[in-house]
Amino acid sequence: MKVSYTWLQTYIKDKLPEPAELADVFNAHAFEVEGIETLPNDFIFDIKTLADRNHYALSHRGIAREAAALCRLRLADDAMPEVSANSSVYVPAVRVESDLCRRYVARRIDNVSVAPSPAWLSEHLEAIGARSINSIVDATNFVMFAVGQPLHAFDANKVQGSIVIRQAKAGEKIVILDGREMTLLETDLVIADDEGPLAIAGVKGGKRAEVTASTVSVILESANFDPTAVRRTSTRLGLRNDSSKRFENEITPELAGEAMARLTALILDLSPKSGAGAVSDTYAQKAERRTIKVDAGHMNAVTGLSLSVADMVDILVRLYCETSVSGDTVSIIPPFDRLDLVIPEDIADEIIRVYGYDKLVSRDTPSIEAVAIDQTFFWAERAKGVLVSLGFSETLLYSLVAKGAFEIAYPLASDKSALRERIAPKLAESLVFNARNADLLGAETVRIFEIGKVFPKEGEKMSLCIGVCQVKKRKGVTSESVLKEAVAGLEAQLGVSIGGKIEVGPHGALVEVDFDPLVAILGDAGSLGELGFRALSADVRYKPFSPYPFIVRDIALFVPSTTDEAEVSLAIRDSLTSTAGTLLVKGPDCFDRFEKDGKKSLGFRMVFQSFEKTLSDEEVGAFMTTLYDTVKGKGWEVR
Amino acid sequence: MREMCSIFDGMGFSVATGPELETEFHNFDALNVPADHPARDMQDTFWVKTKPGEAKKVLRTHTSSVQIRFMEKIAASTEGPRPFKVAMPGKVYRNEATDATHEAQFHQFEGLYVNKSVSLAELKGTLERFFKEFLGPDTKLRFRSSYFGFVEPGVEVDLWWKNRWLEVCGAGIVHPNVIKAAGLDPAIWKGFAFGMGVDRLVLMRYGVDDIRHLYSGDLRLINQF
Repeated sequence: MKVSYTWLQTYIKDKLPEPAELADVFNAHAFEVEGIETLPNDFIFDIKTLADRNHYALSHRGIAREAAALCRLRLADDAMPEVSANSSVYVPAVRVESDLCRRYVARRIDNVSVAPSPAWLSEHLEAIGARSINSIVDATNFVMFAVGQPLHAFDANKVQGSIVIRQAKAGEKIVILDGREMTLLETDLVIADDEGPLAIAGVKGGKRAEVTASTVSVILESANFDPTAVRRTSTRLGLRNDSSKRFENEITPELAGEAMARLTALILDLSPKSGAGAVSDTYAQKAERRTIKVDAGHMNAVTGLSLSVADMVDILVRLYCETSVSGDTVSIIPPFDRLDLVIPEDIADEIIRVYGYDKLVSRDTPSIEAVAIDQTFFWAERAKGVLVSLGFSETLLYSLVAKGAFEIAYPLASDKSALRERIAPKLAESLVFNARNADLLGAETVRIFEIGKVFPKEGEKMSLCIGVCQVKKRKGVTSESVLKEAVAGLEAQLGVSIGGKIEVGPHGALVEVDFDPLVAILGDAGSLGELGFRALSADVRYKPFSPYPFIVRDIALFVPSTTDEAEVSLAIRDSLTSTAGTLLVKGPDCFDRFEKDGKKSLGFRMVFQSFEKTLSDEEVGAFMTTLYDTVKGKGWEVR
Repeated sequence: MREMCSIFDGMGFSVATGPELETEFHNFDALNVPADHPARDMQDTFWVKTKPGEAKKVLRTHTSSVQIRFMEKIAASTEGPRPFKVAMPGKVYRNEATDATHEAQFHQFEGLYVNKSVSLAELKGTLERFFKEFLGPDTKLRFRSSYFGFVEPGVEVDLWWKNRWLEVCGAGIVHPNVIKAAGLDPAIWKGFAFGMGVDRLVLMRYGVDDIRHLYSGDLRLINQF
């Protein structure tokens, strides 16, 4: 919620701390300030309040009271305005027919002038990002942002007969303020008259009784609706707004009467010729103030602080609670709007956040007998350890794929609309992908695996998938043979038969097996220590890689048999460093060497890549030409 | 993740796991996040299509569901309930658009300590020790008042990182409703719980620039570790 600093100050007698300082106080003790915007004569806080504090903190007054409590400031006088009712103005006839309406306060005002708002009012609203519409609508919004009670105004002359608060008839329709037609369900609550719905309760006003420039009489509504009903209706209709947000977070029905008085006083002020009638107030089940009894020892046990009863009472009184003390027991009556304070732990929360988490001294937990480690976790980690020791890398591929037995109700993207039934398809893709980077990685074989959940028709289970792609041709070595060897290694070290059918294809070879049956055979888990988990070296830092393609170039040379391989390598590196510089990302790596007729043949491979663009063959060709000249200059022969 | 487990192992935490395809009960209701409550808005959920009459299922939005599973197991054990410390690492899912710091799937690391008396001071001590061992002895952390349905009091844990505070972990004293929903007596058993995004900590510790790299299966990244 956007909150105006100067508006907050109107509720507080003492001077508020500077905006940045106040933001620090809120962040540490109450709610997150996500930003502060500086206006010519105000500061606008963007405050993120969460569901527990939304009962009272979706208003300037609620936040001001919080500020006063936290900073020990005195509140300004905030007495309810006196409204003298004019007996010549009708009292609206109201009938509440549903329990989803907890209170309904209505009042008619005649002879209003619907005009642009005075500057102070439109500026207040615009500062916090609300649009100024006209003096009546702006007055309802102003009071809502001030005290947190959503309000509505109907054009009294467009209301036919009495006002009924009832559940909608199935299929009943209403045209809302923006002109769209909405179809209602029986679970929706409406404000209706003899003709039909006038508004969707707590959610949106209807077009039929809209306040316009020609309106002369209004019926004001200050009501309290069931949070769940408002949430369901507003969510279903896609109409979540400042009003529905406050109702769905639940506000005390006590607020409705006060908000009506404040709204009336404001409208009478804005339209001096107008006259207000008496209120119609339907309030069947009056809200009661609850009492919470807490034991001071319990409070300290939860927080880990050692506060005295007097310290606790001081905090609670600052939060406008009534307290009485009997020995170590404190009885607390929270103010009406603190619907979040219900159980003793809620009180512990208030005590420690106001006292300050920064003053909480850390303590160790006692040592207790450990429970057994999850078997599946243990054996999966064990298998991962073995595979890594065999030169494999673990992947964490997406579980969301295009097709599968379990489909997502509202998928993000068509290629992520179901849960994977197997790991294999994505692992195969990963083999192909990584094989393309084999030169960059300096690997002749890509070895990867994943152990994770899969979701076939029969349900969730653990799966182990191992894949190999032999990139470089070697006699007698295939993807399949490397994979078989790895599986045999894993079987030997775990002491269990893996089984499974090897799938050979363009990706190389892979095998996928159910992991749960293996765990059943392997039995009890050992300790974490046995897994040999080690800390990754603290100085390992990730090096970003280039998203652009790389280019591979080889150079083969005949050199005298007395010439050292390292010397040749260095010469190549020097030449390329002077031409290609950092574009040489790998190599020169000697991949081939033999001697023939007293001459030594050496083959080197280099990989070029840019972080800024796709390199062209011509660019790399130019580096190679210079390189050829350099080596020829040394008397070496390019093959 | 392994290193995290092993640091918590040093503090006596065991390891527990649970399903990724969860019931609405274990993922929300039992965690004091009832249907139609605004707290449900805090997590964008992947709902899985079910047949009419079938219990609603979700891709778990947090590893907190494992807390319920584990407490149910402890509550049902033949020897009766006992104190315990468990760490719960695992994959979780959020229905949100992906970018360099957000993924639809990521990893969480959850911890739960249950005993007859458990305090926020012990929670702070536990997390302080973990972060110092994981990120270095100079690591500074702070608690900030916050709200999650399943803990009360609830806190957000921030780490001082590159000259600013960074949110890394939600934590608090397990709400009595949660203890009760899992079958333990909240008058006797208390607990603290914490949950952190593993991916963000990996990003922080190793300077990886884009969370999406972690799920690409790209050896250009994996082989650096």
